[in-house]
Amino acid sequence: MRIAIIGGGIGGLTLALAMRERGIAASVYEQAGQLSEIGVAVALSANATRELRRLGVLPGVMAASTEPSELIYRDGRDGRRIAAHPVHNGMSYQNRFGAPYCGIHRADLQRVLGDALAGDGLHLGHRLMTIEEGGAGMQLRFTNGLAIEADLVVGADGVKSAVRGFVTRGAGTEYSGTSAFRGIVPAAKLPSLPDPLAIQFWMGPGAHLLHYAIGPEGGDVNYFAVVEGPIAWPGAGSTAPIEPNEAVRAFAGWHPAVTEMIAATEQTLRWGLFVVPHLLHWHRGGAVLLGDSAHAMVPHHGQGANTTIEDAITLAELLRDAAPASIGALLARYQALRRARTRKIQRSSWITNGLLHLPDGPALPTRDAAMAAFPERFAWIHGHDALHAAAA
Amino acid sequence: MGTAVLDGLIAIAAEEAHVDPATITADARLRDRLGLDSLALIDLVVAAEDRFGVRIPDDDAERFVTLGDVAAFIQAALPRQ
Repeated sequence: MRIAIIGGGIGGLTLALAMRERGIAASVYEQAGQLSEIGVAVALSANATRELRRLGVLPGVMAASTEPSELIYRDGRDGRRIAAHPVHNGMSYQNRFGAPYCGIHRADLQRVLGDALAGDGLHLGHRLMTIEEGGAGMQLRFTNGLAIEADLVVGADGVKSAVRGFVTRGAGTEYSGTSAFRGIVPAAKLPSLPDPLAIQFWMGPGAHLLHYAIGPEGGDVNYFAVVEGPIAWPGAGSTAPIEPNEAVRAFAGWHPAVTEMIAATEQTLRWGLFVVPHLLHWHRGGAVLLGDSAHAMVPHHGQGANTTIEDAITLAELLRDAAPASIGALLARYQALRRARTRKIQRSSWITNGLLHLPDGPALPTRDAAMAAFPERFAWIHGHDALHAAAA
Repeated sequence: MGTAVLDGLIAIAAEEAHVDPATITADARLRDRLGLDSLALIDLVVAAEDRFGVRIPDDDAERFVTLGDVAAFIQAALPRQ
């Protein structure tokens, strides 16, 4: 079977590795001239790390990452601990979910995956231009002039997916109405930060800041500060320039740990948070979507990369021993396994946005109770075993 | 209202809520009567989408109170015969 994976990010590389492990050859076409993941950092949870362990890459991932001590929710202004749950402390998270939780730079994760693939079938500098059904399969043309035919095309090409245009006949992305400032700060520059090795949410009316440590020693703190607005997203890109100090001003009056972190990096951009409103169909002909191209979500459950890895394992497992004639049934099965779960996580992430940004008022105790019950409420996300589900 | 849509939804709801389909009617309240929480409700909506080929946005799904509301939405969205 001729399989083309469009996109050499976390999804495309994980899929290629998982297929190689099952003896399935595939070509990965990445538009960039080198593997250089954009974005900053990612938190990997057990639903993904159990799969990375099966692929043999978890030791490399853990060597470049930090396991948070605790998950802590705080009041963003007075710094009060609202709820806290042990993660690495007492091996609590691993004992519960069977695999670790860790923070890693996206570039490090991509490097570990790319090193494991060792160039097998990887084609850099290939940007997909057109995709059509015809002849004896899917016809792909790249901007560098290459034209190929494939039995299966996997669109692991992110939120701005070119493959999605073919699959959905045009359904696109939607701006969530929220945007973020982000950065990485050496922990040594954050004297006001309590519990620097924890993953922490600082919550307040209309905004929150999330941070966790990354790197082998936890020496860097990756943060992601989300605000409501702008109401309409300016321009066509996913980032927009901001005025000097705009990010600092958005968090004026917040706890010094928050303001110190934002002020420690020069902010010139805000990131619009875009989603792919749930799709009715993830496949058409011999083309299928995987990861953000199918279900980009707001990141408040930290599940974008993790659900992408689940998608990749599911698809690879279903492709075991598959023939071109069975692709339609196989892709329908993949969609059936993945669509409801990712929609639930998408929806839950968006509901969490409202909780994290709750205005002062009588609903705060309800929010606090929700944060205190976090491990019970979201065990269904972290405890999921994608390989087990696909093999059932 | 087309009984085919309602019958299909009753079958889906019976499976999601683990109850006997014979006990479910159009006025069955999704949350109180069938005991579906917000996640189980998404499972029901996704199963209904797959069965009828109709996309049901989250904002509409949140407003459904009874199984009949779901049936009415799908009936209105189905292409006319």
